[in-house]
Formats: sequence, C-alpha cells, structure tokens
Amino acid sequence: MKLAWRELVRRPSRFLTAGAALTLLVLLLLVLGGILDALVNSATGVLRAQTAPLIVYSADSKGSIDRSRISSEQHAGIANVPGVREATGLGVVLLAGHIEGRTEPADVAVFGYEAPNATVPAPPAPGQAYADASLQAAGLELGQTMVLGRARTPVEVVGWVSGTNYNLQGGVWVEPATWREALNANIPDAAVSPGTFQAILVTPQDGSPVADVAAAIDDRVPGVTALTIDEAIAGVPGVSDQESVFTSIIGTTFAVSGIVVALFFALLTIERVGLLGVLKAIGASSRTLAAGLTVQAVLIAAGALATGSLFALGLAQVIPDTVPLELSTSRFVFTAVGLVVTALIGSAISFRRIIRIDPASAVGGA
Amino acid sequence: MRFALGEIRRAKLRFILLVGAVALLVFLILFQQTLAGSLLGQFTGGLEHQSASVLVYSADARRSVDGSRVLPQNVAAVAGVEGVAASGPIGEASFSAKVAGGTILDTTIFGYELGGPGAPTTLSEGRLPERDGEAVASAQDADKGYGFGQQVTIVPGATPISIVGLADDAAFNVQPTLFVSYATYEGLVMSTNPEAKGVVPNLVGVETSAGADPSTVAAAITAQVDGVEALDRNTAVASLPGVSSIQQSFGIILALAFVVVILLIGFFFLIVTVQKTASLTLLRAVGASGGFLLGGLIAQVLIVIGLALLVAIPLTLLAVNGIGSGGFVATVEPSTLVTTSISIILLGVVASIGAMRRVAKIDPAAATMRLAGGGLA
Repeated sequence: MKLAWRELVRRPSRFLTAGAALTLLVLLLLVLGGILDALVNSATGVLRAQTAPLIVYSADSKGSIDRSRISSEQHAGIANVPGVREATGLGVVLLAGHIEGRTEPADVAVFGYEAPNATVPAPPAPGQAYADASLQAAGLELGQTMVLGRARTPVEVVGWVSGTNYNLQGGVWVEPATWREALNANIPDAAVSPGTFQAILVTPQDGSPVADVAAAIDDRVPGVTALTIDEAIAGVPGVSDQESVFTSIIGTTFAVSGIVVALFFALLTIERVGLLGVLKAIGASSRTLAAGLTVQAVLIAAGALATGSLFALGLAQVIPDTVPLELSTSRFVFTAVGLVVTALIGSAISFRRIIRIDPASAVGGA
Repeated sequence: MRFALGEIRRAKLRFILLVGAVALLVFLILFQQTLAGSLLGQFTGGLEHQSASVLVYSADARRSVDGSRVLPQNVAAVAGVEGVAASGPIGEASFSAKVAGGTILDTTIFGYELGGPGAPTTLSEGRLPERDGEAVASAQDADKGYGFGQQVTIVPGATPISIVGLADDAAFNVQPTLFVSYATYEGLVMSTNPEAKGVVPNLVGVETSAGADPSTVAAAITAQVDGVEALDRNTAVASLPGVSSIQQSFGIILALAFVVVILLIGFFFLIVTVQKTASLTLLRAVGASGGFLLGGLIAQVLIVIGLALLVAIPLTLLAVNGIGSGGFVATVEPSTLVTTSISIILLGVVASIGAMRRVAKIDPAAATMRLAGGGLA
C-alpha cells in the first residue's frame, strides 16, 4: 500500500494521462448533471417546495398548470371532500418584469398563492410581492416597485425568497387578487374569474391516507384530477424525457470512465511486469499488488474528482447565463461515488495479469 | 498494415479497451448531436417553416411567441407600413388534444388567416386547410394520432379538428403541432377557457412586397408602430427563448467529449510507442524505414477509430430509436454521421502526432546500446 502511494508521489507524471482524461470526464459528468438538475428544478422546483402532499389540476390539462383551470365551485368542492384539512389555490403567469433604471426587463413567473410553503411565507398584502433572490442579478432591489407586462401592473418587493424560479424565470409571489390582475390585464385570452385558480394544493387531515383523499377528490369533484406531488413532478411535460436522456448519457460517461481506468492500468501493468515480478519474488502476494493498484486507481479518481470539480465550479462562473447549470452538493457526491465505483471496477481488469506474473521471471528478465 | 494488425492481435485487451472507450465517446458525440439537432428542429420548426417572412411581436414579449400579445390597433398599423404586401394575425398556444384511442397529448396550435401569412411551407402530404376545423399537422407526429385523414379533439370543449395535410419539420415547442384557421384558433381558446376576456393574436405575420428586404421591412415596422418589435424570420427563430441555451449547453458538452477523445487516442498511442521504443529501434536498425513504422502507427489509429465508428453508429441508431418510443422523436441525419466521422478520424490522426514524432526521432544506431541485443550500454 505504501509502495503504491510512494510511486504516485515520486512518479506523478506516469499517472498524469489517466488523471487528465478522468478530470475531463468528471467535468463532463458534472456539467451534464448540472444541466439536468437546472432543467428539472426549473420545471419542478415550485412543486418540490410545496408542503401539501396533493395537487389538483383540471382533468383535461394533463398535469400542465398553464392549461389547468379550477373554478371557485370546484375549489369549494375539493375543500369539502372528507379527509381534506386545507385546500389552497395556486396560479402562475409568465411576464416581463420592468425594473426601474433598467432598459431590459427581467423574465418573471408571477405566482398567486393562498398559503405558505417550504420556501415562501404567507402571502403579502395586495400589490406587494416576495421576489426570488436570483432577480437581484437583474437589478431588482428590496422596496422597489416592479411593473409587470404590457399593462404595467405594479408590485412592490417586500422580501426575498430562494429556489422558486419556474421555467428559468424569476419567481415573484403575490396574493391571488394581484396575480389575477396581472394575468387578466396582460393576457386576456388566459384570463380567470375571481375565485378561479390553476391548481389547488391539498393537505389531508391527520390520519387520512393521501391516496384515499386523492381518490375521494377524483370521485366527488367532477372535472379534476388529484395527484401526489411526486406524480405531478413526474407528469410535468418533458421532465421524464429529459431525465431519461441525460441519465443515459451520464451512465455512458461513467462507463467511459471505467474503461479509461481499465485501459491505463492495463498499460501501466504491462510496463511494470518486470518490477511486479521482482516484488513477487521477494514475497509480495498477488493480493498485495492488486490492492496497491486499486489504491492508485482510487487516488487518481479522487484527484481527478477534485480537479474536475474545481474546473466545473470555474466553468459555472464564466459560462453565459443562458446555459442552465446548477452544481449541487448531491450532484458532487453522486459523481464522486460513481467515479470511485467505476475506478474500482476498471482497475480490477488488470488483476488477472498481476496474478499471472511468475516470480521466476524476475530472475530471467533482462 | 500486416505489421499494424499483427500487433493489435497480440495486444487484444489494450486495443479492445481503447476501441471500447473511443466507441462510447463517439456514441456520446453522435447521440448528443442528434439530440441537439432534433430538439432545436422541433423547438423552432413551426416558426421557421411558415410563410410570413417578418414576424411582429409585442415589444414586451422579449421575443417569446407565448409571451407576446399584439393589440388590435397595432395589427392594423402594421398593414400600413411600406414594404408590407400582406399581413395578418397569428395565434399560438398549447392545448390538450385527444387523439384516436382516447390518449390526451400536449399539442401546439398555430392559427392564421387562411390564404394569408403564417401557412406551413413544407407540405409533404394532403393540402392546406381551406375552412374552419381543418388542420395541417407536423408530419413527424403522424404515428401519434395526427396522421393524414385522422381527427383529433381539443379538450375541454370537445372541438374536433380534421387533419387534411402533413408538413415536414413543422413542430413547435417540441410538441405535435397543428396549423388551423385563425377563427378556429379563436374558438379553441374560448372553448378551453370560457373565462377568457377575448383573443389577442400572439404575432402579426407579414409577407413583404416583391424585392423588399425582410430585415429592412422589420426595422421599419419597429420604428413606425408603437409597442411592437418586428423581426425577420431567421432572427425570430434564432431569438426564441431557449434556442441559445440549447445550442450553448450542447456545445459545451460536445466540446468536452471531443477533447476527451483526442486526449485518449493521443496519450494511448504515445504511451504504447514509448513502451515499445526499444523494439521499434531494433526494427529501424534491421532496415525498417521511418515511413514504414509511421504507416503502421497511422494504420493502427485508423483501425481503432474505424472499429469505434462501427460500434458507435449502430449504437446511436439504437439509442435514437429507443428515444423515439417516448414522446420526443429524434432523427439521425446522415450528414451528422458523415461530418462527425470525418472529424473524429482527422482529430485522431492529429492527436497521434506526439507518437509519430517519437517514432520519427528513433535513431537506429541506438539499437547497439541495448544490452539484450548484445550492445554496449
């Protein structure tokens, strides 16, 4: 083990090739994962932030909040279903947000809501808003009045929230009447009546199974579909396609990493056959040599992980804002675990060659 | 060539691993290029392949079709700008469509004045709509229930739409797409949202006068009509929100994948060359020319890349078919396969320059220094 470490320290150039290739692969894995996380979070972050376990859409909307409409009668019907403790409305409209002193408006997603969730406090007063902190980059400041859309609907920013963007647009959270005013004034064809929402968030009573409450809502309220938050996330248009495609690409990249480790350690083992023969001749077991090789593979993977992660963090600072990229701790952990596992598997390819080395070859080697 | 092949046969594991790694990387490159191309095409096709050469947005829309609403007075004002031969409203929205079998699919619908700007231009089957309730559908979605002669129902409201034609590359927002009359579109908006306070077009489509430059006409409209931004079609397509995100995201990923391929091929052959320097020196000493050895090296590079392509291309076709079974339809363009294959071959040869230089520098006289060859170290 000590020998493996010393070789790494004294002859780092020997491992540079594998390290460089793996570093780039780590960078590729983190960028792929970061883009996927940004796309998925952008489409589903608002759903994930909800503390209510159920969300109700109109039956024909196919899980699209943009197309869903729940009338005040349906809302009341949902609230009266046995087992429902709370049923609160949610709506969203995508608009341009004009910020004083800025020529370019910001893209904003204006949410109308009735109850707090994990990231947003209780609704502010009419005409006021909580804005996503990401809008600070667009020049928005606390206390400023932002005007929304062509109709210039004003909202005053009274606090910051985070992680509430939707479709890559900054989240702006207002009470329902302000949302309806902005929606109706700017997009008349999507207008809604007082009391209408696009979705209803449902919290069951203590002890009421979520699935039973969802089934009861479907049965008792015509024209609506109740989904668990996980079902709603899975049903957001495009999300499952994005996840399956990117997961395949990430899986293939891990496979490439494993093959790269296998390839370079196969070359390295061939180069060191004589040396390994000598070590065996003086008593080193195949197991010891294989363990040394495994340690080297894991350490190279760890080095590549550290360097690749730094490159990824650097890249995140310089790439244009138009590229969606979110580098989360969980993504780093996932990549680290995946890389170490593939490095272990890749290095194992050379075990057979190590086992077959004849100690007697140390005597005859020229 | 025999020399190069012989060495590969004797070092199977090394070359199998290299071919495997390069094949998977080439697969990643081809797959992602296909994905990016198809995604962009289905994201923008409906706007790119319609007849209006200039598209007028509300100034507030930030060049988003979904976010744009052009007021009626602006629609009328556009018609009066010099260089405008014909103009008309274009509506666009996403609806739920029930296809044969009862499945409900997200569907984009464009509404345009029949005979006016906004008609699909890549008709491959059937005809353009001639009356309300008829539609041309994006041809790639024919198998999903949008085939020629089929009927879809927009819900809620149960409005039936008959598909009378199919158009190539006409999808928009990566959804099945229908082109209907503007009146049909207005009816669909009102039936799906009875609370709507009216229907305002998303865009004004413009056909320019003969000889007029679309970008000049667009600039004139923007200057003369308050509250709108006009763009020629190509600019409108390139400016759609998400287009640059897709291009740049895939650009970064592809660039990284290309660099890994080059690095992998380059360093592999460099290491192998270093490992066999003694043997190559001996070969030079017994009469093998530098050209012979270099030829062998290049042959090995080409064999590795050739085998990798033979694995990667079918893998890409399989993966793309796998995606096709879901909602998103991707198509492998032969031009992508050809240009990527040529690029990989050229870059692979360039990557092995380090190994070539080392081979070229081998001094046959150095063979006399080898102890194993009876030399004087």
